[in-house]
Amino acid sequence: MIKVLLDIGEKAIKLAEKMGAEQVEVYVAKSRAFEIEAENNAIKVASEQQDAGIGIRTVIGKKIGFAYVTTLEESDIEETISNSLNLARASLEDPDFVTLPSSGGTYQEAKKIFNKEIHELSSEDAAGLLIRTIDATKEKLEGKDFAIEAAISSSSSSSAIVNNLGIAMSESRTSVSLYSYPVIKEGDDQTASYEYQISRNLNDIDPEYIGTTAATLALGFLGPKTIDGGEMPVIFAPLGASAVLGRGFAGAINAEEVQMGRSYIADAFGECIASESLEIIDDGTIPGGLGTRTYDAEGYRSQRTPVIESGVLKNLLHNSYTSNKDSVDNTGNAARPSYSGLPRISTSNFIVTPGKGTLADFISEMEKGIVCRNTGDRPNMTTGDLSAMVMEGYYVENGEIQHPLKNTLIGINMKDLLKTVSRVGNDSRRTFSMVTPSIVIDRANITSG
Amino acid sequence: MEDLATAAIEAALKSGASFVDVRIENTATTIIEINDGVSKQSMASRLKGAGIRAFIEGAWAFAQTTDLTSAGMRATGESVAKMALATREKVADKFEIDGPSFEDRFEYKVKKPFKSISIDEKMSLVKMVDDQARDFDKRITSTRSVYGDMYTELFVANSLGTKVYAENSIPRIISAPTAKDGANRQRIFKSLGVRGGYEVLDTDEAQNIGNSAAKLVIDLLSSVSTKGGSYDVVMDPILNGVMTHEAFGHAAEADNWPSHSTVLEDKVGKEVGPEYLSITDDPTLTGKRGSYEYDWEGTKVKKRTLVKDGILTELLHSLETANRLDMEPNGAARSQSFMHAPLPRMSNTFMEPGDWNVDELIQDTKNGILLCSFNYGYTQSAKGQFMFQASHGYIIENGEKGQMVRDVSLAGNILEILAKVDAIGNDFELDAGSCGKSGQAVPTMTGGPHARILDVPVGGM
Repeated sequence: MIKVLLDIGEKAIKLAEKMGAEQVEVYVAKSRAFEIEAENNAIKVASEQQDAGIGIRTVIGKKIGFAYVTTLEESDIEETISNSLNLARASLEDPDFVTLPSSGGTYQEAKKIFNKEIHELSSEDAAGLLIRTIDATKEKLEGKDFAIEAAISSSSSSSAIVNNLGIAMSESRTSVSLYSYPVIKEGDDQTASYEYQISRNLNDIDPEYIGTTAATLALGFLGPKTIDGGEMPVIFAPLGASAVLGRGFAGAINAEEVQMGRSYIADAFGECIASESLEIIDDGTIPGGLGTRTYDAEGYRSQRTPVIESGVLKNLLHNSYTSNKDSVDNTGNAARPSYSGLPRISTSNFIVTPGKGTLADFISEMEKGIVCRNTGDRPNMTTGDLSAMVMEGYYVENGEIQHPLKNTLIGINMKDLLKTVSRVGNDSRRTFSMVTPSIVIDRANITSG
Repeated sequence: MEDLATAAIEAALKSGASFVDVRIENTATTIIEINDGVSKQSMASRLKGAGIRAFIEGAWAFAQTTDLTSAGMRATGESVAKMALATREKVADKFEIDGPSFEDRFEYKVKKPFKSISIDEKMSLVKMVDDQARDFDKRITSTRSVYGDMYTELFVANSLGTKVYAENSIPRIISAPTAKDGANRQRIFKSLGVRGGYEVLDTDEAQNIGNSAAKLVIDLLSSVSTKGGSYDVVMDPILNGVMTHEAFGHAAEADNWPSHSTVLEDKVGKEVGPEYLSITDDPTLTGKRGSYEYDWEGTKVKKRTLVKDGILTELLHSLETANRLDMEPNGAARSQSFMHAPLPRMSNTFMEPGDWNVDELIQDTKNGILLCSFNYGYTQSAKGQFMFQASHGYIIENGEKGQMVRDVSLAGNILEILAKVDAIGNDFELDAGSCGKSGQAVPTMTGGPHARILDVPVGGM
């Protein structure tokens, strides 16, 4: 498979050069994704996505064009190269563009990112895992009025990146995810919660854990209440921490956003921006990580990049464009949505270094405050202002959960949030965007009503 | 395209499916983005392929293929039917898919097709918008301007006899400048989306979007963060649209009924708001970004009166939900592309105007806040909770608009918030957007008049 993709890439490179490209990069990918979904406690839909396509970036002088197509037919590829070149010719010159990356340094081969069991997962076995999840959720909800939504998705993909400066990389990856989302009704009260796992290895997936946890959580959110607002400490459980850090902070250390002056930490490079207890790294090389890869989306080698050490901002995340512009080292953080887009910048494995204590410990130590299990919000990336709805959370008094919360918002600026992190736990988990334990912040403005 | 669709449908029926549908798509898009006078993204794409669904006794299967040959379509038709058959043993609710069938060929006539306009001309338009924003004020530190167009040819056929060919053409223009004054840095996002060819961007509003975005971001430099608390909130038409979309529209998507995941489940035919409240979702409006003639299941669209005089009267249906709830299909099934199965979605969603004069509405608000435009919003229909954030607003003191505030968030519960709408303006405006659900984005519009909600929690720093 990989050989075929590299051949398609090499061929497209030659054709693009012939048609007038000075520099050219081809991203070609083929994937098979499989999903089974359940609604109201039973399986309902099976779907299979066979996707293959090619994205072509061409450079003429300092002008860049990009085009993609959802097939690998020769005539479509030729039309795509021609579109890409036409766009390059019409583009406005970018004086900061230096060059596409060339192959350099030693690549550390990514480990445990392809799992044969996932690649060969049959629909029967996938359905089996899903039914076990539903059964585990049901068992915990016996006697209640409930409806469970659940799904399992698996994906096996291969991609190749080839450019005319010597890069020719290819790799295969697998992933699987499974979730349970029970809705419970009790009189006029209706609530829901969820649990999920995602991994590159099928053995990491535990359907009973997912089902039981989702049901237990949902039961705990019945009878939510508002509280008297004011300043109080907040415990972010791993999903909540992942939302505020994985989205709200990761986006701020994206070198492109910083260079454009659109990040709230724009002026803080090398300064102390966080509490000493917070350490964050981006590491594209850890075995089996969701963001682990031998090379980034431009074919540049992956590495381990310290982001915050002892509270000090150590590095921004770069791709070839931003590192050339700042004359700094490329951190190998180019990312793209498969063949269908230009490389931007994203985290690989974004990891909060664990400290001490768990969510339960932090609750037991809390005099008065709230727990935010999750939020769907993100800060204003330019000002850092964050106003986050507590999608799932609790009110805590005297070391004990008093009741779940409703209509409650957390208000804080990200710069203050980073500085007021007082505890970092060791109950780390993997989410879609990062690996983090629970964290505690000293104070935020809580509005509820 | 008809022959290809027939090949897939016949193969799937022969393999045992009771209902089959096929979407064959050919879409071309262009995105041109300029940042600070420099090309950031010049991109073209072509999406070409087919999505096929097979159904039997409550079990669905979906597959996609880019092999648009008779043999390829037959093979995918057979394999998707086999997946549905394998799933059949595990389903709990048995039901059938039936409904009206449509045959039509809708050619969307535009004056200036996107492909007839050179890339240079599109580039000049984006450059003009980008220059406008940058030249507006010295405090503008960074500009981002984007043009996008999408032209779609879609053929939908199913085993009930539907054969519909439809075209769509939607352009979009965006200006998102950043301004800085001392340590205060602000950013705004202003977009304009309409339906039609390149000619529909030939309006003052589109041609001056860089200026209007720049003016707003400069104004924002003098804004302050709000103090959290409960306020009487007056929403402008754009924010009202977001509220209507997030706090109500999603919960009225009928796929929530079989899955028991909406707080509106027991409310059909019952009161969900005050008697002066009506909410409509209308894909038949001319020239609007959320409009279309046939949905992605080939059903002809209708205007949907979701709430009439405070009563929940209609839902957003796919063929499946119309069958299972024994209601009329209304053409609300949409897909992002051939790669996705259709789901019940909104189109142009709005609160119907009331009888309040807007100035009087503000004068009548003693201590409140006027919230304008929006950054984003989301909802969880099963719990009935939603959240959205206004990009800016103004404190109202004794009926007068005062200090500008920014990034104001509002959270609440669907059933509680509609009951709190106490005054609805007589003005009306729609704003362009994109709505995401289950990983699929579709073009939508939202809006309505100014409206007031009493005593709601507003987040502050």
